[in-house]
Amino acid sequence: MNLETLIEFFSLQNPNVRYVVLGSVLLSVSSAIVGCFTFLKKKALLGDVVSHAVLPGICISFMVSGTKDPFLLIIGAFLSGWLSIIILDYIVANSKIKEDTATGLSLSVFFGVGILLLTVIQHSGNAAQSGLDSFLFGKAAALVGKDLLAFSIIASIILIVVYLFYKEFELVCFDQEYARSIGVPVKRIELLLTSITVLAVVTGIQAVGVVLMSAMLITPAAAGKFWTNKLSVMLLLASLFGAFSGIAGAYISYTAPSMPTGPWIVVVLSFIAILSFFFAPEKGILIKLFKQRKIRLQLLEENLLKSFYKIGEINADFTAARSNEELIEIRRFSTAQFKEGLSRLSNQGFIKKTNGTWSLTNDGLQKGMRVVKLHRLWELYLTKYLRIAPDHVHEDADTIEHVITPEIEERLEKLLEYPEADPHSSNIPYN
Amino acid sequence: MKLNIFYILLIFLLVGCASPEKDKNGKLYIVTTTGMLYDAVINIGKEKVDAQALMGPGVDPHLYKATQGDLSKLNQADVVIYNGLLLEGKMGDILKKLGRTKAVYAAAEQIDQSTLLTSVQYENAYDPHIWFDVTIWKQAVTRISEALQSEDSVNSQFYQQNTEVYLQRLDSLHEFVKTSISSIPENQRILVTAHDAFRYFGRAYDIRVEGLQGISTVSDFGLRDIAEITDLIINNKIKAIFVETSVSDRAIKAVMQGCNERGHDVKIGGYLYSDAMGKFGTYEGSYVGMIESNVKTITEELK
Amino acid sequence: MIQQVEEPVLEIHDLTVSYDKKPVLWGIDLSVPKGAIAGIVGPNGAGKSTLIKSIMGLTSLSSGYVKIFDEELEQVRSRVSYVPQRESVDWDFPASVLDVVLMGRYARIGLFKRPRRADIEAALFALKQVGMDKFKTRQISQLSGGQQQRVFLARALTQQADIYFMDEPFAGVDAATEKAIIQILKKLAEDGKTVIVVHHDLQSVSTYFDWVIMLNLRLVASGPTDKVFTPELLEETYGGKLTLLTEVGELMKKGQYPTREKQ
Repeated sequence: MNLETLIEFFSLQNPNVRYVVLGSVLLSVSSAIVGCFTFLKKKALLGDVVSHAVLPGICISFMVSGTKDPFLLIIGAFLSGWLSIIILDYIVANSKIKEDTATGLSLSVFFGVGILLLTVIQHSGNAAQSGLDSFLFGKAAALVGKDLLAFSIIASIILIVVYLFYKEFELVCFDQEYARSIGVPVKRIELLLTSITVLAVVTGIQAVGVVLMSAMLITPAAAGKFWTNKLSVMLLLASLFGAFSGIAGAYISYTAPSMPTGPWIVVVLSFIAILSFFFAPEKGILIKLFKQRKIRLQLLEENLLKSFYKIGEINADFTAARSNEELIEIRRFSTAQFKEGLSRLSNQGFIKKTNGTWSLTNDGLQKGMRVVKLHRLWELYLTKYLRIAPDHVHEDADTIEHVITPEIEERLEKLLEYPEADPHSSNIPYN
Repeated sequence: MKLNIFYILLIFLLVGCASPEKDKNGKLYIVTTTGMLYDAVINIGKEKVDAQALMGPGVDPHLYKATQGDLSKLNQADVVIYNGLLLEGKMGDILKKLGRTKAVYAAAEQIDQSTLLTSVQYENAYDPHIWFDVTIWKQAVTRISEALQSEDSVNSQFYQQNTEVYLQRLDSLHEFVKTSISSIPENQRILVTAHDAFRYFGRAYDIRVEGLQGISTVSDFGLRDIAEITDLIINNKIKAIFVETSVSDRAIKAVMQGCNERGHDVKIGGYLYSDAMGKFGTYEGSYVGMIESNVKTITEELK
Repeated sequence: MIQQVEEPVLEIHDLTVSYDKKPVLWGIDLSVPKGAIAGIVGPNGAGKSTLIKSIMGLTSLSSGYVKIFDEELEQVRSRVSYVPQRESVDWDFPASVLDVVLMGRYARIGLFKRPRRADIEAALFALKQVGMDKFKTRQISQLSGGQQQRVFLARALTQQADIYFMDEPFAGVDAATEKAIIQILKKLAEDGKTVIVVHHDLQSVSTYFDWVIMLNLRLVASGPTDKVFTPELLEETYGGKLTLLTEVGELMKKGQYPTREKQ
């Protein structure tokens, strides 16, 4: 991977590179868009069923026509892909079998028949049959102009259909019952969605193969959903992720020998999905962990300040210096947390250090006092309004004291009529 | 009532699984994997043996998986002959197991290893496509003949005579190939095919060979491989490239289109028989015919 | 006590619904007058949701028929509005409040066309009616239960229908929302619309509804609240299932008997 290869690649001068890049992008974008709808409908495995179900159609086409004419093979693929969904729906509607079972059934039976037919063909000695199994794993690197034409047509059809039926697709994915109730032809819309799914799959498998096709449908949609709550943005993101992966997969395949394009596209897609899983704002795991850490630190700091205040209450001297041992006595912390908490409070100016002891600053005193006040107010609220016994309210208040906002604090004070003591007769401080 | 039906079905099942009658007419029953091996066996044993090949024309031995039917044939065989050197990549276990109870011979593995080519991609592995160097194939034929003679000593004289005649035929084939290939001008002597099956051919007959896929069709190719081959074709102004009967032609066609787009008119010279022969019973359905047909195609298109 | 009405907006005749050949609603015969706010009550599993769904054509009938404005549902769809149960939908779907409310106009907009200015105005107006106009761009995944219910109601209101069917609109909803919804329903009734609601809380029946339908696998009563909402009828509705009926139902399911034989 060097600069020269990079420039060579992106100049798109090499026609094979052009074919593969454009083809991969077209196919990835088509799959991503279709995949979003099946994903939102919670029928993500539909793509998987269709991918596997096209195999018998391809084989039968070959057996009947004796040639590998791509046009005929696609028709065969389309028909058997379609049939697998019809049968799936029929099974669900007319038997006790649930959808996930029916999905597994349809997928494996069709695929099994397909492999059977493929084996028969391979043993038949017809010399023209070699390469039929490239449908299993795809040959993205061998895309040519003719394929591009087919991909462009399919992609256009899909885009047009989605554009025309956007709101119907959206409604049917969101609330099927309501859609039916207002007279939207739900069955026909679903049929349309199935059809474009089959179309996307039938073209896609020629590039990435049966086994990987469902990844092309599901992964971009799943990744996209992490970043947004708007359908249109999700579609756009999924398409972008798909396109990027198509180009990246082609590039990787270009830089090193024996790197098949299709699988690399899927690897890049998966990588994007994993990144989304961790880093997406709000929904990403890392962000959540980050937020959790913030809360943990808040709890630590406030609890420490509480300890300072409580010691102060003993002699009504809040600003005297305290040693570590004194603080630990009020409330236990682990050594690491204790150190971390003290250092953070000190950095933020809530406490100051003098010769190995700590004392509250004015800010620290205010903050500590507030937390104690909230704790005791809440305990009072629990005993008075929820009628919980006084010896059961402490743990609850220990948590809630960190949560109460100034607005709620005001309302609490008013509701309880500015009480002076909590259920354990401790003083409620007001500043 | 139900139980009776169950038993009847069970019996049918078991009977069905039992092997059909063996051909007990006294002839050796030999099962080979590739058609080329079958062809060798027939030329040695002629009417005194019964032989069958598991892999027909257009079948890729690198990817071939044995079926139930194949297994029963293998089990009934008196002798099993396969190529070895990992050509039959997906049948390794089966052949090893068979070897414990049967006379199983790997034709390519008993040849003097110093004459073999090593694989570029896999360490400690040899290139199994030995039949493309006729002199090496002669050695394989000799080994097969020895095996048949030891299995069926009654007819060993017969086998020996046929072998000698056949080896002479192979000698003249070898000369034919040498002359034909050398008639191609040196700068045109580059053979581009779908996979690296022709390295022995290249070495023996002094022609440069390049395959899109590696030695085994199991390995996949990528955009880089296509780019490199198209560069090679354009830089050397190669006139024709070749597809193989047992491998998908999509890749080679993509290479051709790539070259044509870049302004160099290369065409598909025709089908070569690489890992499988032509249809049984036709001229190309024999070893000699397969080699001759390949050579004719190559020579015509590259000259 | 089943009071039939002359010129009903909703007429149900001999309606039976079965799941897997087991009848869950037996021979329902009722009618509802125009402008009523009707509540359907009954114990769990009584078939209340099933009744609404079968009226809306979402479940097939084993026998009987439903007439709305004296026509089949297909003919009068534009005058009928349905508010499904809140849990019937995944609120994690990527859509805003306005998006969902606009869906109520999709039938009117028709295929291939985009929502126009008028549709958006209608949606915003409906949102105002339910007090959610400030939330129009909020993602529905961020709404509370009460807010979700209001959105569903707003969606139904944009249809400007003449009859509304609601499935448990007060379930899991805060007091303020409940109050707001009832105000809207009362206003609808004043404007001559009819509202039929599946309800679960007996305490509020007499204040909310002027017509009550009491259901427990079969129709126990249907009529004006003061006439029908009595202790005796309540006892009959809630006082345990009819065991003979249940057993017969099981037999029909086991033997896969048809609910009605072909004449």
